[in-house]
Amino acid sequence: MEKTQRFSLYLRKWGLPAFMLSPFMILVTVFYFLPVILIVVLSFTSMGSAMRWDFIGFQNYRFLFEDPNLPTILTNTLIYVSFTLGINVLFGLTLALLTTYFIQKESIGLFFRTIWMLPRMSPPVVYVLLWLWFFDPSSYGVLNSIRELMGLPPTMWLVNQPMTAVILANGLIGASFGMIIFSAAIKSIPQDLFKAAKVDGAGHWSIIKDIILPALRWPIMFVTIWQLLSLLTSYEYILLLTNGGPGFDSTVLALYSYHKAFQFFEFGYGAAVSVVLVAVAIVLTVMLWKLFGMQKIERGARID
Amino acid sequence: MEKLKHLMILVLCLGFTFTVLAGCSTDEDAAGNESAGQENEAVEVVTITAQAPSPETTRVDNLVRAAEMLNEELEKEGQNIRVEVETQMFEGSWEDYYRQFMLAFQSGKEPDIYVASHPNTGWLADGGYIQPLDELKESEAYADVYPVLWDAVTYKGHVWGAIQDTEARPVFYNKNILREMGWSEEEIESLPEKVKNGEFTLDDLLRVAEEAVSSGAAKYGILHRPVNGPDFQVMLYNFGGQLYDPEENKIVFDKEAVLKQLSFFHEIAQKNLIPEGLLSMEWSNIHSMVVNGEVLFYFGGIWNIYNWGQDDFHKELGKVDPEWVMENFGMMLYPAAEEGGQPITLSHPFAYFVSSNAEHKDLIVRLLEHVIHPDLQTIHNVETYHLPVTESAAEHPDYKANITLGDIAYMTEYTTFLPNHEGYEPYSNAVFKAIEAVQLGRQTPEEALEALEVQLKNDLRDQLTILE
Repeated sequence: MEKTQRFSLYLRKWGLPAFMLSPFMILVTVFYFLPVILIVVLSFTSMGSAMRWDFIGFQNYRFLFEDPNLPTILTNTLIYVSFTLGINVLFGLTLALLTTYFIQKESIGLFFRTIWMLPRMSPPVVYVLLWLWFFDPSSYGVLNSIRELMGLPPTMWLVNQPMTAVILANGLIGASFGMIIFSAAIKSIPQDLFKAAKVDGAGHWSIIKDIILPALRWPIMFVTIWQLLSLLTSYEYILLLTNGGPGFDSTVLALYSYHKAFQFFEFGYGAAVSVVLVAVAIVLTVMLWKLFGMQKIERGARID
Repeated sequence: MEKLKHLMILVLCLGFTFTVLAGCSTDEDAAGNESAGQENEAVEVVTITAQAPSPETTRVDNLVRAAEMLNEELEKEGQNIRVEVETQMFEGSWEDYYRQFMLAFQSGKEPDIYVASHPNTGWLADGGYIQPLDELKESEAYADVYPVLWDAVTYKGHVWGAIQDTEARPVFYNKNILREMGWSEEEIESLPEKVKNGEFTLDDLLRVAEEAVSSGAAKYGILHRPVNGPDFQVMLYNFGGQLYDPEENKIVFDKEAVLKQLSFFHEIAQKNLIPEGLLSMEWSNIHSMVVNGEVLFYFGGIWNIYNWGQDDFHKELGKVDPEWVMENFGMMLYPAAEEGGQPITLSHPFAYFVSSNAEHKDLIVRLLEHVIHPDLQTIHNVETYHLPVTESAAEHPDYKANITLGDIAYMTEYTTFLPNHEGYEPYSNAVFKAIEAVQLGRQTPEEALEALEVQLKNDLRDQLTILE
């Protein structure tokens, strides 16, 4: 009797929240957890174009670690993620400072911010087409046309500097994300602080260093972790720009997984590459979380 | 407060139910494979679905025309059945096209007839996606198919597809450049014949290309495709190489021939016969260079004539028509690697594959027997610059009247094919990267061969045979 009562009390307390949350729990399970579990299971199969679940143990991982291209691909991933992340955060910060602090008039700042948002709004294929045209190795390419004006022969940008091109294209498009977050944070700094600093005779550098940057600490950390994770798994711009070439010069782990799974239909092998990627992402996130002390983000705001 | 809570629960429940119901509904029309005739109760209408990749709609439109022919025949036979073909075109990359078929098959929504190029035979057959069509080889309608074309759709001893079309990959040569180099009209016009007879070899081609560049008559001696594709394997075959072992059903890494293949592509780059960075160029630039007379020899495809008529590639003329192309360019086979040897080309025929889930196989086979009719083949060939697959279609007056196609039909006799093995795709990709490495001067052909061996062993594992 008491048990039934306890149960009904329990139901009354948790029934509605559970019911309200269930659609989201189902969505999260179906779209977040199941895919990861499926990928892990898939990575132990030799699934190819016939789509059969033939389990082969750790063979895919063995092939992956014996893969002659793995060292190059890992190095590329490291270079790509760190440099693009650098551009994303630092350039985003610069843009935010320029459009909110240096340009005080809101309409003008907004205008420039919108311009920087354009690449994000245009479809990746269109955006990359512009870059392809920009870097085209014939004398018809934009950069080579400029070289031609100066009497220089055309050069093969995407062949000689594929990583630079990939980092530039990704870095510039990614900067708009940081710009938006940082602009909002700068705008939330009370104007009194700026006024007081000016009365005290502080210069721009001192205002940025002592007022703006401390207020941006959490947004910068958030943007860094967020962009790091997106960059680790992003490959679409590389796919369209260089397709990982020449050779494996601009192939990163995510693109390699895509090629294995969807170009050569080695789903099992592609899944194994993805699992390594997931593991790398988890390790890096935990490391950064600890390093930045992100748990403190939930404490009260430093300003106001 | 209590009322509000109830109301909220009600709204939530309704919303949830609605979403679930909406998600569960299926498109009955799309799933249906067969529907009863509405106007005549006695006649059964069988719907056969067919899909092809863009842009050549004639591949599936011909099935619709074939259905009309079949229906007339069925009517004459007094049968109460009629065939209706539902067609679908696919826009997207090749990989997307194959992936879509795989997934559609898994959910039972694949087309009954799937149009794809022949190297897909292997994975389609191995994966149980398609059914054998051995009866077509015995069929009267397919009796005059060029015998060599059966190889393209044969895998593990069975015929798996109805050959749909084939094409020529000629070497285009610029007549104006040869004129400038002092060649007589007679010499220029007889070049294809000399190549055919093995009198003009690959060495001659290299020599003439070098002369053209050094004399300033051409900016580049040779131009080949900028992205991976079948053409690169022509040179392997030309050097006597082997790509596939049908007995063992394995991809062959023929080291001696691959070394020669890599050396050829290395040499043309070293001698500056090709533009620097060719393998990173856009197709549109390739077409511009050819059409504007910057290149003497272009390893192209017959369909390029169609491409050149679609865009303003020519600096002054813009779009160029086939007459202009024929005036300014000649087409020949790839010259033999040795004097007196056999010249060569490569074809990449398309085929109609029949899903292993398709019902009414008898009707589908009869439909395929009609679709190979010379009239239908000619509609496709003339419109899209492809070559006939039967001797009777090669004799079709409309086909023969076509100034471009008539002259190159003989190339089918010299053609070769890619393997139907699934391992070909990773193989060709690895070879392409090796060609890229030697052309960029990053590796010598010997180094590239060594790296290629490591790569292929890792990629193909037990699907690979190495020929030292």
